[in-house]
Amino acid sequence: MAKPEADTTGCIEAGILENALVMIIVLDHTGTILAWNHAAETITGYRRDEVAGKRDVWKQLYPDKDYRQEITARIATILSAKQYFENLETTIRTRSGSSRIILWNTKEVVQDGNARAVAVGIDVTEQRQTDNFRTSIIENAHILIAVLDHGKVLVWNKAAETITGYTRDQVIGKRDIWKQLYPDEEYRRAVTRQITEIIAKNRFFENFETRIVTRSGQKKILSWNTRRIGTEGTLQDITIGLDITARKQAEEALLSYMTEMAMRLKGPVEIIRDNLTDVAKLIREGKLEPDEIAMVLDGQVRNADQIAHNVKEFQREISMKNKEIPAAYRKFLEGE
Amino acid sequence: MPVIVNPEDLAKNQIFLILTSPGNTRERNIEIIKELSALGYRSVVITTNFPYSVLRKLYEQGGVDLTKVSFIDAVTRHSFGSAENIPGIVRYVSNPANLTDMGIAVTEVLKEHHDGKVCILYDSISTLLIYLSSPNISKFIHFVTNKLRIMDISGVFLAVEKGLDPMLMTQLTTFVDTVIDAE
Repeated sequence: MAKPEADTTGCIEAGILENALVMIIVLDHTGTILAWNHAAETITGYRRDEVAGKRDVWKQLYPDKDYRQEITARIATILSAKQYFENLETTIRTRSGSSRIILWNTKEVVQDGNARAVAVGIDVTEQRQTDNFRTSIIENAHILIAVLDHGKVLVWNKAAETITGYTRDQVIGKRDIWKQLYPDEEYRRAVTRQITEIIAKNRFFENFETRIVTRSGQKKILSWNTRRIGTEGTLQDITIGLDITARKQAEEALLSYMTEMAMRLKGPVEIIRDNLTDVAKLIREGKLEPDEIAMVLDGQVRNADQIAHNVKEFQREISMKNKEIPAAYRKFLEGE
Repeated sequence: MPVIVNPEDLAKNQIFLILTSPGNTRERNIEIIKELSALGYRSVVITTNFPYSVLRKLYEQGGVDLTKVSFIDAVTRHSFGSAENIPGIVRYVSNPANLTDMGIAVTEVLKEHHDGKVCILYDSISTLLIYLSSPNISKFIHFVTNKLRIMDISGVFLAVEKGLDPMLMTQLTTFVDTVIDAE
């Protein structure tokens, strides 16, 4: 009665082995391949009859000698501590010459009194490419990107390091970065209160501006946007911070420029106008002699000269303060 | 004609900022000087708009007693290069932007007339805007008002209304005792 059961079990195992969507390879203690499933054939391009009973397929899968030695050394190190390895990632070369990234897990089993190693390889090439693409976007973005898990920082990109001065080693896994970015307790509380109010209403916030203090003590203005991702229990917040310090400075410079222009150009031009009107009135009334009229007019010429000089000064100043002005306009403003 | 500066406030050596409508500054200047003279004050006029020689003539024509007026003129030398000081009457400053010379002139003229009732008339902050940035004007007015308070002397600063930005206006308001709208 026991034999048919064993046959059935064997059939099921063979079915699993063949139909699994992951590479399953069985090796004996010498490294000779005993089993090589369909997925292993599909992924590597090597047929079972080419590899079964042999040990040299690894040379074909890892044709680069240095890399092969490196992998062998890593496996030896792992196996010296335990009888299996988990999530070992290697890059194999397929028969057609393409590269695939395989995530390996092994297990030692005993079959008919003989030790066997079962290696399961998952092709994670596409997943890694997607991960790399995503990482590349995050890393190369010119905006601060942080991913938070209940306030604990999981991701802190290069721009975050550049903008704040805090490296990811100092930030990842911690929750206290915000205390460093907002050292003033009162301001930090005000920001936290505002964020809490916005989140309670919208679950995210857009273009929320705050003033941070960088590691070097520099003050910067950031515009924040957040999105919540995941489902209940695995919620994470993606936080994006755009450094708008230069833009804000430019806006402030522009406001200051406009105000000063209005006061020091419009006002004085009106003074000259009023003075000339006054002189005209005095002339009509016969109250001034020609040389006195000339004196007053000369004074107004001086005033007009000074206003022209002021305009040039203003142009130069606004050009120096605003780094975002295109070169051609900058030259024009600087009077070149 | 209504009084522009309250004599009681003037007696307390207060400092005033008087805002005039555009084109009205010269007339207000003459009216204030006449008021000050009538109250027995010697006026020290700091002019950044009309040269001393013209202003003196206009004062004469306006009926101002010139024996009670001294001038600090920041226009004439700037326009014509040179002009000799007349002790007790007029002191020239190279240009309106030369705050050091202006400060020295104010200090010395106030010393000359420290005995009687003296009031400074600054005509005008608006014209000064042609030559100086608002922060520098603010510093200078602060210096002058401090000097006036130390010496117990009253002062009047003229400016064209709506010609000063809110920041400068706020600062000037804190330096003076009273702001008068004298359209």
